[in-house]
Amino acid sequence: MTTPQSTAPRAKGGNSKIIRYRGVIKRFGSFTALNGVDLDVHAGEVVCLIGPSGSGKSTLLRCTNGLETIDGGEIEFEGALLPKDERALRAMRARMGMVFQSFELFPHLTAQQNVAEGPRTVQKVSLAEANRRAVAMLAKVGLADKAANYPSALSGGQQQRVAIARALAMEPDVMLFDEPTSALDPETIGEVLNVMKALAEEGMTMVVVTHEMTFARRVGDWVAVFDTGRIIEQGPPTQIFDAPTTERTRDFLSHLGWSG
Amino acid sequence: MTLDWSVVWQHREALVAATGTTILLTIATMAIAVPCGLMVAALRLYAWAPVRTLATAYVELFRNLPLILVVFWAFYVLPIWTGLGLSPLATGLAALALNVTAYNAETFRAGLNSIRRGQVEAAMALGMSRTQALRRVIVPQALRRVLPVLASTWVSLFKDTSLVSVIAVTELAYVAMQVRAQTFRVLEMLTAMAAIYWLLGYPQAKLVDWIQRKYRVTE
Repeated sequence: MTTPQSTAPRAKGGNSKIIRYRGVIKRFGSFTALNGVDLDVHAGEVVCLIGPSGSGKSTLLRCTNGLETIDGGEIEFEGALLPKDERALRAMRARMGMVFQSFELFPHLTAQQNVAEGPRTVQKVSLAEANRRAVAMLAKVGLADKAANYPSALSGGQQQRVAIARALAMEPDVMLFDEPTSALDPETIGEVLNVMKALAEEGMTMVVVTHEMTFARRVGDWVAVFDTGRIIEQGPPTQIFDAPTTERTRDFLSHLGWSG
Repeated sequence: MTLDWSVVWQHREALVAATGTTILLTIATMAIAVPCGLMVAALRLYAWAPVRTLATAYVELFRNLPLILVVFWAFYVLPIWTGLGLSPLATGLAALALNVTAYNAETFRAGLNSIRRGQVEAAMALGMSRTQALRRVIVPQALRRVLPVLASTWVSLFKDTSLVSVIAVTELAYVAMQVRAQTFRVLEMLTAMAAIYWLLGYPQAKLVDWIQRKYRVTE
């Protein structure tokens, strides 16, 4: 069984694949969450994973940095298979930033301490260097003035921007976003998407699980449509949104009120 | 019946010293039982299975024995086991610490369990090891959450130190009872003892209330 795959050339990254998924299988008990997923993420690309809830998009993202272990197939990151060894896996994770749907900021630390925590604890940089990075990253997401605030004193959109800054402070090669705007009030979704868009324009490689079709369409370089643990269609956004080749993609998009 | 309150004043020095011992016992017990309780809780949650069972057995044993029994047990059995001639104060401290450590372990276990899984994942996604995630992210949050419970345990402990009077530790209850036995001024001494416990205990209880308000979980 082959997945309809676009023959469209990839706009970015040439042949340098940063992440390569081949036949990825993930089971939770008797439930098969991923049933043979093939996907490439090229350097500098924004790859958007879309599809109905429970179709496996988030699971694939969580397998990417080893928060979930796969039951079959393989995932390569920068030319090497995800290591089994705990220490090597941690080193690889440190090169992938991850942003969660529910932010998961550390509530006992200020915004600045949250951002400085990774460099400080994992990369063992000096306190001065960690703070310098934290200040720079908070400025980058437009929150320089909130450095001393605790997460509980920030809006959802602000918390998510701090979470993005926290991931960026590790100076990752790729950013993984797991439905970063799904838990936000409509009026704060825009500020998070703008930060992500600016990041994409800087050339950051990004894998984004999202229900924001406008973002996938405008910012995405490649879109993969998931359904029941498989990618049913993938290609450049113009193809997916304007000329989807499968009935199920059309169904999914029409349920979201997407009219092309 | 005539009351003679001068008996309290006459024994003020002994009572003040005894009150000092009560406070010292409380502080020393907590100084042992907080780190040990955290360690036992961590062992119960994360250690190798046989160690986990051992930690559970310890908690369930000491949590379900009357404290006064543990005090007597420490008095008669500890010297035989350890071969040490412990002073009554050290014996009382050991008994209290064994008991309160078990309680604190349960408190910490609940606190550690209450931190949601996403926090560990966020820490691990940054590249932290499980130990680093525990030390930097989970334990600091759990400590804040259980602080009100620890404070309540503190207030209970302050009063429960009176139980070590049965092995002649010269703390407040023991000394007050001694004075009563020598002077037969029962009502005066019991009242004085009650007043001292209450005057010291009430501000602590108020402090607990304040801590519970201040550290109410906000996310």
